Amino acid sequence: MMNLRRRKIEERIFRFFMVTSTVIVLGSLLLIIGAVVVKSLPALKLSMITQTPKGGYYLGKEGGILNAIVGSLYLAGGATLLSFLLSLPIVVFLNVYAKKSSAFATWTRFSLDVLWGVPSIVYGAFGFIIMMFFGLRASLLAGIITVALLELPIMTRAMDEVVRLVPGSLKDASYSLGATKLETAFHVVVRQSLPGIMTAVLIALGRGIGDAASVIFTAGFTDNIPTSLLQPAATLPLAIFYQLGTPFPEVQQRAYASAAVLTLIILAISLGSRLLVGRFAKHRIK
Amino acid sequence: MRKKGIKKFAGVLIISLIILIGLSFGQNGQKNLTGKISISGAWALYPMGVKWQEEFQKIYPGVRIDVQAGGAGKGIADVLAGMVDFGMVSRDVHPAERDKGALPFAVTKDGVVATISDKNPFLNDILKKGISKARFIDIWITSKTTTWGQVLGTNEKAAVHVFTRSDACGAAETWAAFFGKRQEDLGGIGVYGDPGLADAIRRDALGIGYNNINFAYDAKTLRPISGLAIVPIDLDGNGKIDDRERVYGTRDDITGAIARNVYPSPPARDLYLVSKGKPSNPAAAEFLRWMLTDGQKFVPETGYIPLSKEKLSEGLAKIK
Amino acid sequence: MRLLKDLLARRLMLFLTAVPGLLVFLMLLGLVQKSRAILALKSFSQLLFSSSWHPLRGEFGLFPFLMGTLWVTVAAMIIAVPISLLTAVYLSEYAPRFVREFAKPMVDLLAGIPSVVYGVWGVLMVVPFVGKTLAPLFGAYSSGYCVLSGGVVLAIMIFPTIIHVSLEVFSTVPNELREASLSLGATQWETVKHVVLRKGLQGITAAVVLGLSRAFGETIAVLMVVGNVPKLPQSIFDPAYPLPALIANNYGEMMSIPLYDSALMLAALVLLVVVLFFNLAARFILVRAERKAE
Repeated sequence: MMNLRRRKIEERIFRFFMVTSTVIVLGSLLLIIGAVVVKSLPALKLSMITQTPKGGYYLGKEGGILNAIVGSLYLAGGATLLSFLLSLPIVVFLNVYAKKSSAFATWTRFSLDVLWGVPSIVYGAFGFIIMMFFGLRASLLAGIITVALLELPIMTRAMDEVVRLVPGSLKDASYSLGATKLETAFHVVVRQSLPGIMTAVLIALGRGIGDAASVIFTAGFTDNIPTSLLQPAATLPLAIFYQLGTPFPEVQQRAYASAAVLTLIILAISLGSRLLVGRFAKHRIK
Repeated sequence: MRKKGIKKFAGVLIISLIILIGLSFGQNGQKNLTGKISISGAWALYPMGVKWQEEFQKIYPGVRIDVQAGGAGKGIADVLAGMVDFGMVSRDVHPAERDKGALPFAVTKDGVVATISDKNPFLNDILKKGISKARFIDIWITSKTTTWGQVLGTNEKAAVHVFTRSDACGAAETWAAFFGKRQEDLGGIGVYGDPGLADAIRRDALGIGYNNINFAYDAKTLRPISGLAIVPIDLDGNGKIDDRERVYGTRDDITGAIARNVYPSPPARDLYLVSKGKPSNPAAAEFLRWMLTDGQKFVPETGYIPLSKEKLSEGLAKIK
Repeated sequence: MRLLKDLLARRLMLFLTAVPGLLVFLMLLGLVQKSRAILALKSFSQLLFSSSWHPLRGEFGLFPFLMGTLWVTVAAMIIAVPISLLTAVYLSEYAPRFVREFAKPMVDLLAGIPSVVYGVWGVLMVVPFVGKTLAPLFGAYSSGYCVLSGGVVLAIMIFPTIIHVSLEVFSTVPNELREASLSLGATQWETVKHVVLRKGLQGITAAVVLGLSRAFGETIAVLMVVGNVPKLPQSIFDPAYPLPALIANNYGEMMSIPLYDSALMLAALVLLVVVLFFNLAARFILVRAERKAE
C-alpha cells in the first residue's frame, strides 16, 4: 500500500510539472504575440500594407511597407521555387533510385544534416562571397540564391521524412505492372506523399521569409518594389530591423506592426498548408 | 556687294552665338538627368541622406535614388565591394580602406554626446559638475572608475553601468577617437544599434552610454528624448559646468556649440560620403556636387551642422 | 522511349543529388581559402585558445566567442529540453482531446515567429526581467543582457522543434503497449516512464539533437540580448559573445582592418566544422543505438 501511495505521489508531482511546462510554452506564445500586437496598435493602419515608404518614412513621415511585403514574397517565393526544383529530384533519387545503404545516399543525407545546422549568417557570408566572385550587386537574385541555399536542407529533409514512409510494397506493385522508375516516382510515390511534400515546401518557405541574417548582405534594401531580378529588394525582416533602428517612436511602432504583418503572413501560410494537406490527403492510398 | 556680304556674315555669326549661348544654358539645366544612385551606410547620416534624396529628386525626377541604412560598416563594405555608389560613413576612413580605393567627401557634420538616464539618482550633481575627458577615459577605457562616487568626488558606492555599441559603427569610433582610441578599446555591455543603446540607458538608472545627437534629441521637440539626460562635458576640467559649457538644453544648442567649436571634434565629427575612386556614375557625381553646394541649405533644419566653405570646395575639387 | 526518359531523368537527378555534398565541400573550401591569410600569421591553436580580442593590434583570440556560444547553447538546452519533453508527454498522454488539438497548432505558431521578432521581444521583456527581477533574487548584478537572457530566448525558439518531433515519436508507440502496461497495474506515469519514453528514446534524442542544431545556429535573436562583450562569462548573468553574433556585428569592419575579414571567415569556418563534427558524433551514436536495438 505504501508503495502505491508513493507511486501516486510521484505521478501527481510529474503531472504538475507537465502542466506547468505546457503553460510555460503556451504562455510564452501569448506573451510574444501579445507584446507585438500591443506595441503595434498605434501603427496598424491600412496604409501600412498598401503603400510603399514615401520620402522620409524612416523619419516618421507617411508610407507603408508594401515594398518589403512584395519584396519578401518575391524573394521567398523565388527561393522556395528554386529550392523545390532541387529538393524534389534529390528526394526522389534518394528514395527511388539509390540503394538503401549506398555510400552516396548516406553522404548526401549527412551533408543535408550538416547544412541544416549551419547558422543562417554563414549562408549570408557565403552568399556575399559568391556575389563578389560573380560581380553581382545586392539584388533580388542574390537574395534568392542565398535563401534557396538556406531552405534547401530544410525542405529536403522534411520531404525525405515523408517520402521515406512510402511502403516498398507500393513501389514494387508499380514496378511489377511494368512502370519505369521515373514513372513510379511521379505517379505513385510523389502522389502518395503529396501532402507531406507540400508541408515541407511551406515549412521551408516560412523559414526563408522570416530570416534576416541571410539577406542582410545579399538582397540589399530599397523603398521601391523591385521590377527586375537585378534590383535590390526590401524584405520584411530587414524592414523590421531598420525601423527599430530609428530614433523615432512612431517608426518603432511601425516595426512592431511590420512584425505583426510578417507573423500573419507566416500564419496564413501555415494554415493554408493544413487545409491543402487535408484536401490532398484524399489521393493517398491507405 | 561686299557690304551686304559682311552684313550677312555678321548676322549668321550673331545668330550662331545666340544659339550656342542658349545651348550652353540648356546643358547647365540638365533637368533631363537620369540614372540610378544607390547609397547605404551610417544611421547617423541617414536622416540627412533621405532629406537630400527628396530634394534632389524634386529637381531631377528622372533620377532614382535608393538610400539604405545599416551602419557605417555596411556603408564602407558595400562601397568597396562595388555594391553601392556611395557609402555613408560616420567616422574617419582608415588607411587600409583608402588603400582599397575609398575616397571620402565630407558632406556635413554632427556629433556624439554622452547619455545617462533621467532617473539617475545623482542627476543634479552630474549636471552641475559634468564629467571630464580624463574621467570618461577611466570609465570606458581603463575601467578604473567604477562607482558614481569616483565620478562625482563623493563617497557614493553605487556602481557605474557602462554601455557601448556592439555593432561596428561610427558613433563608437568617434566616441573612442575623443580618447585617442578605437571602438574595440571601449569597455561596457555591447548593445546593438543607436536606439538599442538609448533604450538600455533609459532603463538603467545607473547606466552611462553615448548616442548620435539625432538619436539623443527628439526631432520634434528638439529636447533630449524622454528618459534620457545628456552628460555635460567638463571641457576645462575645473569640476563644474560654466555657462560656456552648458550647451545641451536643445538640439540647436549643441549644434550651435559644435559649429562654434565650443564642443570639441571629436566627439563632434564630419560625416562622409565615400566612393570607390572618383564617382563614375554621372548622376551620382552630380548628386554629390549638388550636396556640396545647394544641398547645404537643408542641413540646419535637419539637425546637422553645415560645413565651412573651405571644406566644401576641397570636396568639390576632388570630384573633378 | 520511356526507358530513355527514365535514363535521362536518372542522370539529372543523380547530378542534382550530388549538390548538397558538393555544397558542404565548397563552403569548407571557400572558408578555408579566406581564412588562410590569418592562419599564415598565427597558429590555429593560438587563435582558438587565446582570450585576447583586439583586431587593431592583430590579436584575434576566438576563445571567448567559443565559450560564449557554448554557454548560451547549453543554457538554452537546459531550459528547453525538460520543458519541451514534459509538454510533449502531457499533450500526448494526458491532455484531453480538445486541449491537444488546440495546443498543437499553437506550438507550430511559435515555430513560425521570425527570429527578429524574438530578438525584439527579448529586449522588451526578457532583458528587463532578468536584469531587474531575476538577478537581484540571486544576489547578482546583471544588466539583463546576458547568457541567461540569450538562453531563455533561444529555448523558446526551440520549444516547437523538440515538441513537434517528440509528439510524432510518441504517436508511433503502439497503444497496445500502453494498455499492456496499464493492465499490469502500472500508473499512467509509470507507463510513460517505462514504456513510452523508453520506446521513443531514439526519437527523443533525435528531437533534442535537432533542437540543439537550431539553437546553435540562431544569430539575430541572440545578438540582441546577449551583451556582446568579448570576455569569458563567469556566470549566467554575465554577458557573452557567441560566434554568429561576432560575424553579424562586425561584417562592416571586414574590409577595413587588415586580417579582420580573414578572422571572421575563420570564425565561420569554426562554426561549420563544429556543426560537422557534431553531426558526425550524433550519427555515430544513433547508428550504434540502432545496432544495439537489433
